[in-house]
Amino acid sequence: MPITFKELTHEYNAGTPFAYLALDAIDLSITEGAITAIIGETGSGKSTLVQHLNALLLPTEGSLTVLDRTITATEKPKQLKELRKRVGLVFQFPEYQLFEETIAQDIAFGPKNFGMSEEEALSKAKEMLQIVGLSEDYLERSPFELSGGQKRRVAIAGILAMDPEVLVLDEPAAGLDPQGAKDMMELFVRLNKELHKTVLLVTHDMEHVLNYCDHVVVVDNGHIVQTSDKLHFFQDTSLLHKLRINPPAIIRLRDELNQRGFDLPCDILDTEVLAKAIADEVKHHE
Amino acid sequence: MKKIQVSHLSFGYHKENPVIHDASFSIEEGSYTTIIGHNGSGKSTIAKLMIGLLESDSGVITVDGLELSEANIHDIRDRIGIVFQNPDNQFIGASVADDIAFGLENHRVPSEQMQGIIEEFADRVNMRKFLNSEPTKLSGGQKQRVAIAGVLAMKPQIIIFDEATSMLDPQGKAEINALIQDIHAQSNLTIISITHDIEEVAHSDHVIVLDGGHIVLDGSPDEVLFHEQELIDLRLDIPYALKLQHALKRQGLETKPCTTMEGVVDELCRLRLKN
Ligand SMILES: Nc1ncnc2c1ncn2[C@@H]1O[C@H](COP(=O)(O)OP(=O)(O)OP(=O)(O)O)[C@@H](O)[C@H]1O
Ligand SMILES: Nc1ncnc2c1ncn2[C@@H]1O[C@H](COP(=O)(O)OP(=O)(O)O)[C@@H](O)[C@H]1O
Ligand SMILES: [Mg+2]
Ligand SMILES: [Mg+2]
Repeated sequence: MPITFKELTHEYNAGTPFAYLALDAIDLSITEGAITAIIGETGSGKSTLVQHLNALLLPTEGSLTVLDRTITATEKPKQLKELRKRVGLVFQFPEYQLFEETIAQDIAFGPKNFGMSEEEALSKAKEMLQIVGLSEDYLERSPFELSGGQKRRVAIAGILAMDPEVLVLDEPAAGLDPQGAKDMMELFVRLNKELHKTVLLVTHDMEHVLNYCDHVVVVDNGHIVQTSDKLHFFQDTSLLHKLRINPPAIIRLRDELNQRGFDLPCDILDTEVLAKAIADEVKHHE
Repeated sequence: MKKIQVSHLSFGYHKENPVIHDASFSIEEGSYTTIIGHNGSGKSTIAKLMIGLLESDSGVITVDGLELSEANIHDIRDRIGIVFQNPDNQFIGASVADDIAFGLENHRVPSEQMQGIIEEFADRVNMRKFLNSEPTKLSGGQKQRVAIAGVLAMKPQIIIFDEATSMLDPQGKAEINALIQDIHAQSNLTIISITHDIEEVAHSDHVIVLDGGHIVLDGSPDEVLFHEQELIDLRLDIPYALKLQHALKRQGLETKPCTTMEGVVDELCRLRLKN
């Protein structure tokens, strides 16, 4: 069953002089079992959108259906705790997700909260820490005495430890080193392909959208302005320009060369293929 | 002229566990330096040592020839502005306008000039509409814009950006980078940017690479970025320009090695017309 938003509106501080309309009657359907990228400018409403998925924010108007639950302004979903186990959300700022004294306790918190024994939960924590690329040495350290990128890894481990069906990640690669970002994206792909998890991620990294995602949703000023599958999205350069999206390096390079007299096909999205086309043209130019 | 000189700097948050090992480097006045390294390699720690927020276990830091010490910490902090990795750690004002004002007050800017400066910089980072908003309730990228405006408004001689644009959309990031470049070109501002963005590194004047608290490479982008295997082993990236050149080589096309996109485009256009 897809995740659907029906005329969902979110207004912060509704009814006060500080009211701010962050989402304006959006309709959106997100395919189950796929990896969907949510992109858009700063302040467009991406974080507001994804925080509805586990009812951290409730709509001001309209509704949202996720798994078998419907969430509206007045109906807090029953068994909120169960929903939060099935829909795991990693915040944009991981700091706000860390609170226990040790990293082991922090990651084990979720599983314990959902009924796992202390021992099982701690062994899960150990496993997850390794999956996000931190050594066992960190288990007994404080989550607050970490670098920015390390905090993000621990926050992601904490959510993965609950084994959610839907994984929602708000800029999960921000602050990760390049290899870390790549490993993390590959982990999400694995969770999607092998364990069939639905993955939604907010990102600004167009290379990640191009290389790892299936679908793209573009948010602009509280509206959904585009939903497409990835290949169509990146083939339509004029659409990218219209949406003020800075395309991935391969597309920028291809367009730049075409402007300077090359004639490279617009459906090339792979570096080896691009290199072949460039080499052919350079060698055979009369 | 050397603006900052760091010699034999060592530091550990816990004495038994040092995280910076005997680091030495210097930063030229007016240069744009990037610092790169894996998560936990010590980038933010070095930044905090340079502004005297952390105290080193050994080693010397000088700014304009002045040795960083208890006695002249205020003098040095007047010269250096920093944008922290998490902007929430730097907001003190209840509104965006107050927040920028606090920084200006600290720099003893006359109050009659303040309003003008606040509006100018809020405008330049495109946050004019949000002057009355509470900084902690902004979106992540908006917070970063405000933090950058606050530091630029103080017009320090040196600015350290610690992953300051990591949450901006690519277009927004390009705009903010252009603003920073603009100010850099007009003043003699010295910039130190901690970043994971390898394209930014390729366009800087000077690159310092950290690994587990050790400085492992230090030089111009060309001197550093051609150490491709080493960078990959250090969990870092290489510019797209170099990746493409490798692919071209596999297709039998040799190009003059270069680290920037503009460079590769020029080179390919030259080769095409030569044939
Ligand atoms: N407050 C702290 N207390 C104890 N150890 C810390 C503290 N902050 C950072 N560390 C440790 O010091 C080392 C260097 O951290 P630092 O924050 O300088 O890394 P970084 O290079 O900025 O990493 P990132 O790319 O993740 O921001 C890491 O091993 C980290 O775990
Ligand atoms: N708690 C809040 N109170 C008031 N306004 C908010 C709050 N959180 C976000 N906003 C505003 O809502 C808009 C959308 O924010 P957000 O969803 O965080 O954007 P982004 O697309 O960058 O994730 C922004 O203009 C932001 O300033
Ligand atoms: Mg956000
Ligand atoms: Mg850091």
